[in-house]
Amino acid sequence: MANAKLWGLKKSPWVFHVAAASCNNCDIEILDVLTPRWDVERFGIVLVGSPRHADALLVTGVLNRKSLSRVLRVYEQTPKPCLVIGVGTCTCDNHMFTPSYNVVGPYDKHIPVDVFIPGCPPKPEAIISGVVKALARL
Amino acid sequence: MSVFGVLFSYLIFPGFIFTAMIGLFLTWIDRKVTARIHWRVGPPWYQPYADFLKLLLKETIIPEGSSKVFFLLGPILGLVSMTILAVMLFSMNMNPGATFLGDLIVIIYLLALPPIGLMIGASASKNPLASVGVSREMTQYFAYELPFLITIAGVILKAGGSIRLGDIILAQHASGPFLYSISGVIGAVVILLSMQAKLGFVPFDIPEAEQEIMAGVYIEYSGVAFAMFRIVRAMMLFLLPLFLISLLWGGFGDWWAIPKFLLIIVLMILIKNTNPRIRIDQSLRFFWLGIGVLSVIGLVLAVYGL
Amino acid sequence: MKKEYSQAILDEIGARFPRASVKIHAPRRTYVSVPRDDVYEFAKFLFAEKNCRLSIATGIDKRDGIEILYHFSHDPSGTYYNIKTLVPKDDLKIKSLADFLPAANWIEREISELLGVDFTGHPNLVPLLTAETWPADLYPLRRDYADEHKEFKLDKTKEDH
Repeated sequence: MANAKLWGLKKSPWVFHVAAASCNNCDIEILDVLTPRWDVERFGIVLVGSPRHADALLVTGVLNRKSLSRVLRVYEQTPKPCLVIGVGTCTCDNHMFTPSYNVVGPYDKHIPVDVFIPGCPPKPEAIISGVVKALARL
Repeated sequence: MSVFGVLFSYLIFPGFIFTAMIGLFLTWIDRKVTARIHWRVGPPWYQPYADFLKLLLKETIIPEGSSKVFFLLGPILGLVSMTILAVMLFSMNMNPGATFLGDLIVIIYLLALPPIGLMIGASASKNPLASVGVSREMTQYFAYELPFLITIAGVILKAGGSIRLGDIILAQHASGPFLYSISGVIGAVVILLSMQAKLGFVPFDIPEAEQEIMAGVYIEYSGVAFAMFRIVRAMMLFLLPLFLISLLWGGFGDWWAIPKFLLIIVLMILIKNTNPRIRIDQSLRFFWLGIGVLSVIGLVLAVYGL
Repeated sequence: MKKEYSQAILDEIGARFPRASVKIHAPRRTYVSVPRDDVYEFAKFLFAEKNCRLSIATGIDKRDGIEILYHFSHDPSGTYYNIKTLVPKDDLKIKSLADFLPAANWIEREISELLGVDFTGHPNLVPLLTAETWPADLYPLRRDYADEHKEFKLDKTKEDH
C-alpha cells in the first residue's frame, strides 16, 4: 500500500513557487517551464495556488534576514512529505551576494533541500532535469 | 432489497466507486483534450488516479483554531449527496416507472449540497482569502441557480406538469426528446452554462481563482480532505451531463447515451479553453440578465407548447 | 528646440538660485550642486514649476559627509536634472521632500535606514527594507561598517509571525 502511494507522489508532483526576494530571472524561467512548449504536465506537474496543495516547493532567490521567517512559514505549511527544489545559483551558495550584510546562507542551513539546480538563471531544460532527478530519488 | 444489495448499489455500483472512477476518467479526458488544444501531449491516462493516491499520502493539516467538525463536513456533504444522486439517477433511468412524487425537487436539493458543503468548509478555514472565495461562491450560486430552476420549470410544463423525473423520461420516450424543439434548445443552452458554473470550470471558476486569491475556497485543504473535494468534482462531472440528458435528451436507457454524453463533455471543455475568467459582478449580470432572460423566453415558449 | 529649452532653464536656475553650480555632464544630463538648505526650494522649483518627475534618489558615503543625489527627469525633453548635495557627517539632517513629493517618501526611508540620514519633516521615517530584527542604529552602507553581524540566529519572538 505504501508503494502505491509513493508511486502516486512520483507521478504527480504539484509545484508551488516560492519567490523569496529573487531578482526574478529564475522566476521567469520557471514561468517558461510551465508553458505548453515544455509541457511538464506529461510528468503530472501542475502549478497550484496554495502551499497546502503542494508537493514540491520551487524556491528562488537569496535567503536574506527578512525573507527567512516567511520561507520557513511556507515550508511549515506544506504537508509532508514534500520536496524542496532550489532553483538558481543564489539558492546553492549565495552566488555573488556572499559578502552582503543581509544574506543568511544557502537554503540547506535552514530547511532540508532535496535538489539544487544551478544556473543564473537555469534553462528550462535544466529545471526539468532537476525536478525529474528529485523525483527519481524518492 | 437486502441490506447487502442496498450497500452494494450505494457504494459500488452505481454509487460511490463506479461514479468516482468514471468521474476521474472524465477529468483525464478534460486534461487530454485541453492539452491537444494547446498543441502539447498532456498527461497519461492514469494521471487522475495518481493524483488521488498521492493526496491520500499527504498529511491533512487542519488550521489551528478552526472547528474540526465543520472543516471536515464540507467534503463529506458533497460525497454523500453525490452518491445518493448517482443511485437516484441510475435507478430512474433504468426503470422510469418507479419514481416518487417530487423527486426532481430532491435532485435539485442534492445538487445544492456540494456548494453548501464547500462554503461551510471554507468558512471554517480561518483564512481571509477563503472568506473572499466563500462570498464569491455564494454570489455565483445565486447567479447560476436561477436560470437553472426556470428551465426546469419549463421542462416540467412540457412533460404535462408532473414533478417526477420518471414521468419526464417517459414523456420523452413517447413524444421525442424535449431537445428537438425551440424551448428545448434554449433550455439545453441554459443548463449547459449553469453546469459550467456549477462544476467550477473557466470562465466561471471565480471562487477558486488560482492567480487571484491563491485557490480561494480550497486554500487550507490538504491531504485526504482535498482528495475528497476533487472526487466530488469528478462525480459532478459525471452526473450533471447525465442529468441534462435525462431532462432534455430522452434519458440514458440505451447505448445512444454515450455519444450524447461525450458531446456535452466536449462542448464544456471547448468553452473552458476558449474563454478567460470573468469577474464576479460580470458573472452575476450574465446569469441574471443574459441567460436569465433567455430562460424566461424558453419558459414562455414551453407554455405555448413550442 | 531642446537646446534652447535647456538653456532657458539654466538661465532661470542661475537667476533664482545663485548658490547652485551647474555642470553639464552630457547633452541630456545636468548636475546641479546645491547647498543643503536650498535643496527643498530647488526640488519644489523643478517639480512644481518645471514639470519634472522624481525618478530616484541615491546616497553615497563620502569621507566628510553623505552625498545625496535626487534625480529629476524632465520627460518632454528627455533630460535629467540631478541635484547633488553634501550632508556633513556631524549634522546628518536634511529637510524631507515628502510633503509635496509623495515619490520621495519610500526612497528617503531607504536612505535613512541604510546610511543614517535624518529627513526632518518626514511623515513616517521607519525602516523600509531591512529586517525587523536589524538594529536601527547600524547603517550597512557606510564605509566604516564592519561586518560584525555575520553571526545570525533566528529570533522568533521578534520576527513578524
